[in-house]
Amino acid sequence: MQKLNQRLLFFRVLPALLTFFFSLMMLVVQAQQRQISGTVTDGKGSPVASATVAVKGSKTSTLTADNGSFTISAKDGDVLVFSAISFETTEVKITSESSYSVTMNATTVVLSDVVVVGYGTQNKKDVTGAVKSLKAASFNKGIITSPQQLLQGKVSGVNVTSVSGEPGVQLGITIRGPGGVRTSNTPLFVVDGIPLDNNVTGRGDPLNFLNPQDIESMDVLKDASATAIYGSRGANGVVIITTKKGKAGTSQLSFSTSLGISKIARKYDVFTADEFRREVPKTGGTIDDKGASTDWQDEVFRTAYTQNYNLTLSGGADKLTYFASFGMQKQEGVMKTNDLDRYSGRFNATQRFWDDRLTIDVTLGVTTTKNDRPFISTILGQAITNNPTYPARDASGNPVFVAGINNPLFSLEGEREFNTINRVLGSISTSLKIVKGLVYKFNFGIDNANGTNDIQTKPSVTPFREGRLETFYNYNRSRLVENYVTYNWVKSPHNVSALAGHSYQRIFVQGRNNSVNRFPVGPVQPQYNPGLGQLLDLATNRPGGYAFINELQSFFGRVTYQYNSKYLATINFRADGSTKFGENNKYGYFPSFSLGWKISEEDFMKNSIFSNLKLRAGWGITGNQEIPEKQTQALFTSSTAGTLSYPLTGNGPYPAGTIYARLANPDLQWETSKQIDVGLDFALMKGALSGTLDYFRKVTNDILLVVPPADPIQPATTLWTNVKDMTITNQGVELELDYKHNGKNFGYNVGGNITYMKNKVENSPYTVIASGNASGPAGLTSATLNGYINGEPIGSFYLNQWLGIGSNGLSVYFDKDKNGTTYTDNDRIVAGTALPKFIYSFYGGITIKDFDFNVNMNGVSGNKIYDLTANASFTKVNLSRNGNTTAEAIAEPNESVSNAAPVSTRYLKNGAYLRMNNMTLGYNFNPSKLGISKWVSNLRVFATGQNLFVITDYNGYDPEVNADRNISGVTSYGIDYLSYPKAKSFIFGLNLSF
Amino acid sequence: MIKKIFSLVLIFAGISIIHSCTKLKEQVLDESSVTGLTEQQIAEGNIAPVYALLPTLFQHTNLFSLQEISSDEAILPYRGGTDWGDNGIYMSLHRHETLSSDPNVNNTWNQIVQSISRSVTAINALATNNYVNAKTFLAEARAMRAYYNMLSLDLFGISFKKEDPDATSEILRGDVAINYIKSELLAVEPLLDNTTGPGRMTKAGVWGLLAKLYLNAAVWRDRYAATFTFKTDEMDKVIEYCDKIISSNQFQLASEYFSIFDNNNHNNKELIFAIDQRSDLNGHNRMAYFSLSGDQFPLPSVPAANGTDGPAITPEFYQSWVSAYSPVDPATADPRFFKKNLNIPVDSCILGTDFKIDRGIMRGQQYGLIGGRNIPFTTCGTGKYKIGKLYNVTRGKPTLPVDFTEAIDFTVAGSNYSTGYRVEKYEFSSVTTDGRNRGEHDIIILRLADIFLMRAEAKLRKNNDAAAALIDVNTVRAARTARTAPPALLTMSLDLLFRERGFELYWEHQRRTDMIRFGKYEGTWTEKTNTDKQKRIFPIPLNAINGASNIPGYLVQNPGY
Repeated sequence: MQKLNQRLLFFRVLPALLTFFFSLMMLVVQAQQRQISGTVTDGKGSPVASATVAVKGSKTSTLTADNGSFTISAKDGDVLVFSAISFETTEVKITSESSYSVTMNATTVVLSDVVVVGYGTQNKKDVTGAVKSLKAASFNKGIITSPQQLLQGKVSGVNVTSVSGEPGVQLGITIRGPGGVRTSNTPLFVVDGIPLDNNVTGRGDPLNFLNPQDIESMDVLKDASATAIYGSRGANGVVIITTKKGKAGTSQLSFSTSLGISKIARKYDVFTADEFRREVPKTGGTIDDKGASTDWQDEVFRTAYTQNYNLTLSGGADKLTYFASFGMQKQEGVMKTNDLDRYSGRFNATQRFWDDRLTIDVTLGVTTTKNDRPFISTILGQAITNNPTYPARDASGNPVFVAGINNPLFSLEGEREFNTINRVLGSISTSLKIVKGLVYKFNFGIDNANGTNDIQTKPSVTPFREGRLETFYNYNRSRLVENYVTYNWVKSPHNVSALAGHSYQRIFVQGRNNSVNRFPVGPVQPQYNPGLGQLLDLATNRPGGYAFINELQSFFGRVTYQYNSKYLATINFRADGSTKFGENNKYGYFPSFSLGWKISEEDFMKNSIFSNLKLRAGWGITGNQEIPEKQTQALFTSSTAGTLSYPLTGNGPYPAGTIYARLANPDLQWETSKQIDVGLDFALMKGALSGTLDYFRKVTNDILLVVPPADPIQPATTLWTNVKDMTITNQGVELELDYKHNGKNFGYNVGGNITYMKNKVENSPYTVIASGNASGPAGLTSATLNGYINGEPIGSFYLNQWLGIGSNGLSVYFDKDKNGTTYTDNDRIVAGTALPKFIYSFYGGITIKDFDFNVNMNGVSGNKIYDLTANASFTKVNLSRNGNTTAEAIAEPNESVSNAAPVSTRYLKNGAYLRMNNMTLGYNFNPSKLGISKWVSNLRVFATGQNLFVITDYNGYDPEVNADRNISGVTSYGIDYLSYPKAKSFIFGLNLSF
Repeated sequence: MIKKIFSLVLIFAGISIIHSCTKLKEQVLDESSVTGLTEQQIAEGNIAPVYALLPTLFQHTNLFSLQEISSDEAILPYRGGTDWGDNGIYMSLHRHETLSSDPNVNNTWNQIVQSISRSVTAINALATNNYVNAKTFLAEARAMRAYYNMLSLDLFGISFKKEDPDATSEILRGDVAINYIKSELLAVEPLLDNTTGPGRMTKAGVWGLLAKLYLNAAVWRDRYAATFTFKTDEMDKVIEYCDKIISSNQFQLASEYFSIFDNNNHNNKELIFAIDQRSDLNGHNRMAYFSLSGDQFPLPSVPAANGTDGPAITPEFYQSWVSAYSPVDPATADPRFFKKNLNIPVDSCILGTDFKIDRGIMRGQQYGLIGGRNIPFTTCGTGKYKIGKLYNVTRGKPTLPVDFTEAIDFTVAGSNYSTGYRVEKYEFSSVTTDGRNRGEHDIIILRLADIFLMRAEAKLRKNNDAAAALIDVNTVRAARTARTAPPALLTMSLDLLFRERGFELYWEHQRRTDMIRFGKYEGTWTEKTNTDKQKRIFPIPLNAINGASNIPGYLVQNPGY
């Protein structure tokens, strides 16, 4: 039977098929059609890829390749229609020629850009909220480890501040100022439709897992009218990250690689050995001179190399498009033994079914980040204060142990942290057109991160180290299910679209740790065999752990209405319910309303200089639900821990003590922000000059605080509560400008943005909420640096004012309360704030033929930095005791060596800076001129300089710094303490497409 | 097609329902409220936390600092410009310039108010408990609440009256507070057991507290008085309760003074009420570790366990010993001053098991194990360790000897690592791994010698009965017979009694209270010239004042802060 079938196939079906195929070919020839080819370029001569080439009045169409070339079959007299996003549609009539060079002109106004808003996209020109879309082309260049760096300085109202210069370090990002006292002020990040949870699973910034080269666009939603669709997570703004997708009709393989060379941008100017020998005796100290001349900073820093490799495959046919990438970045820190490696893979695909009525999108990103860290602050402290006359190495170059000093080389070698995070972020989203205008969407997303952090002290004889391994395991599993429908209805002059949906997100977070001590000295690293540890008991090795589930259930909707494409209105609404909220406040409701008026569309504006002029205004309520878990529930706990149990008899076992660990607060809820925004979008000179001006005012109330209860006799010393009347107001003005000139062989653009912001705390029931813990540095335990005070901005420095050195050689402080004793709590003044008044940036670019040159600068001003490093280390008394310092220690010639250095305005410094963030020079080879166009469609080489210089008065490593010195979760601002220095880097790279 | 579409919608909607139907009831995974306990577990689970914070409360940075560093018995400078600077809080404390934001004041306060709260919780839970010991536990909880209130009254000038956990506590001051504490102690005295000490509250413990309350009533009643008026009937009560303890014959003065502070002191008959520390409950060793040099390593087996160059005694306190026994050295004259444990053999080699550091007040060049911290101890033969002169190696001053000097102050020279005579009263834990943890010794709250001295004081204050007082004082001195007992005193006066309390009870969390009662607190000693009477009590912590700011007039800051 089978054999018969095979025979049938061979002898009947195949010939029939062949006949059919050849008949088709005959038909083509008979229609007198011929192959027309050509290339499409833009005004500058660059190829236009993915432009649609269609034969007018027929169904024949194709897309241009990356080098702009196309072939299509048409016959004489046909008209080819060329269309592409951002270009004016162009028509060409087929004559007898078979090859055509087509030039497409860029549309003068880039307003046709699409911006991603929550649960959908809108045309930029129709948006009524304050939204900025940033595409890959305008991202910052350089060694980028986390996506926030891509938009530093690129969006007005957004302040990106790295904690330090360490590779992969957490990046603080606030949109339109901080609105809370203790809560995270980080915006909500939404990656391909999945809102990310802010709980971290290890070291570094949680967004390090995203390969920046996979990112297509970042859309920043700033005001409440835009973010209310994200309800209780929208108060700090929303950043929507969209990864790259394949394009139908293309097939591309791209490879890019770069090598970065980094050095510490600026060292502390501590005394050299010779200067030290001179200066110590001057202070009255006795020099402890070991005869060497060591630059301890040189011992711990190095020239670091960063390699980046990225391979992408993308393309697709009519029904299926895909994008796949593999990325690897091996980054060395400028401090020895500090490395950050990221390996990432991505696969995004879109498949259409049923005449495109059903579309399924899948995204999958998989990343491993591996971060090796020495004990950074310990080493930095040693490197800047160690006596420079002590030797670091012996004659054969080995680290030398000299009692009396901690040689950081031993720590570099023996004390390390090994941190690995594996993260998978994937989603499947289905879009189904039910009837015309009505689309049903279903989203399912998972975000799964596992982190392991080994903190290892290798055992050693000299210096004596017992050896210890402590391991932290962290898990974060998030799951998202969303269902929503969108409906569009157009009947001129009305245009209505509506959205309604339901969302459920469940986040499971778990952390565990254990440790073991006392390892035998030998070649085996404790991390590879914890079993070699010889001491394990509950007093030093009690395992720890925690776990919680957060669930968020939401209902949301949006209606937009356009009348005559001139008058726009948007209403957003979200109801958010969370397990974190108290029984009496399970659901929060977050509405917003906004209006837009496209003035330039009005008849009376027909001949004005404006090609676009739109006025926007919006109001909305958003929330911040970053409350710790379980705070709404009482806890009556029982334990044999030392602070709960007590011996009742002569011998154990000890009873488990039972106490109320926590009181229930059934009223606990989110913080609420009300925001108004008025904005003006404009474009003049046919769109060459465009810009945006916004005024905003955001008032946050129901501030979440941990407070001691009024009656001191309470089971728990603190209680979580919303302080009803307290408000934090952020208001400001944002201006963005951009000017473009496009010529045939020459083009340039310049632009920039500036934000002025003011922050104010009001109606706090407390005289001061202290933060900015100075503890750690010897002698400063318990001092606080920041204070949240009525009438003053968040991040204010609340300090005793240093007036100088008195005739007795001791510091003189301002006696504010005039009670005769200076330097008391009551003498503290508000001495400025860590929040900048102005954030600004500017950029420029020039294209001359195949060369392009771009530069990005950014800066802040009006802010202060507390130099806790100098306070703790660079004092005259330290120098007199043979600790190294900078010249700052001897700046006051009359200062006595017994003068104490408590925290004061003496160490408060101007934090303004202007940074040359990055500068790139690139050259695009013309593959056809090189004769390689058959194999290579694009070849580009470039050189980038990153952090080339910083203009600042600040004399620490870098003014962009924010060491976390929070006190019981109350956020600290603007403190520099042994912060990892920033690097200056040169990056050389190559991009190649096939 | 439409059918297909609808079935697809249904499938997705179905998936959604499975995944997302939620009432948002928070599920707690890592902690659980206690249920299903037996009556015994409930009873014991309630009484244990009432005592459990005592070790923390009596830590070096908490009650010890407040009671001792504010006095002439202890001074803590900014050691070597690198240690114990702590933003000046220890210097401020010594100079009587403590601020309401002071963290040690805040921590001490927190331990006390939390312990009162735990007592209130326990009292309410135990009232209905059927466990056989529940009634005793209940009495203990009430007595402990009274004790914590007494501490609060002494330190902050206020006490808290709270019965109902849901009500706001009543704040008491002066006489009202004294009467409240008194009535509570009297109410529970008959209900208490006398066999549960010294780790738990007993009848004798209550008698001791009552004696303390009556003795200090004059101070606590009229805090800022120029001179305190000690009432005769109150002095009679002091004598009465001290008599009860002494005549009970339950307690006995120890012949070896330092055995009271040994690691195995729990069964020492001199202890009336003490904090029962166990190493496996991670008691703390701070009392033994605090004052030692960073280069003193008391345990050959643990190179990580050293001291921390904390406080020393002031030269004035030292001179009080010198002048008392001159020309005899106090170490020879009084066994309470010093006990030599470390006798260095000719070859400077000692078995690890024989190595024991000296106790009491340590002066001059210190000897001990060589190395430690970053460097292994130098050994000399099997199980033997080299003993030698100590230097400040861990301080990066390997040529600076650990040579404790009498002079200590806040100048650069006076605050070097080795200035000031040190105190090693409590024995260093034998099982600590870092010097701070796994303490073994009980920390004393009440002991028999204190009772004798209180009775002597009451006799002096009542009718200046110096002869009777002298007998009590000499009874204590004469009991220390293990080595040579201190000579008997020949006369007695309040000044001599104050000095004697210093000799007997130095560094036992008593000095500030004593100095105030004897009118010495506004005196002058090294680095202390402040004579402000308002500094007799500490500020209520700023945190607490802030927390109570929503009830106007409820928690009022003490004057002068």
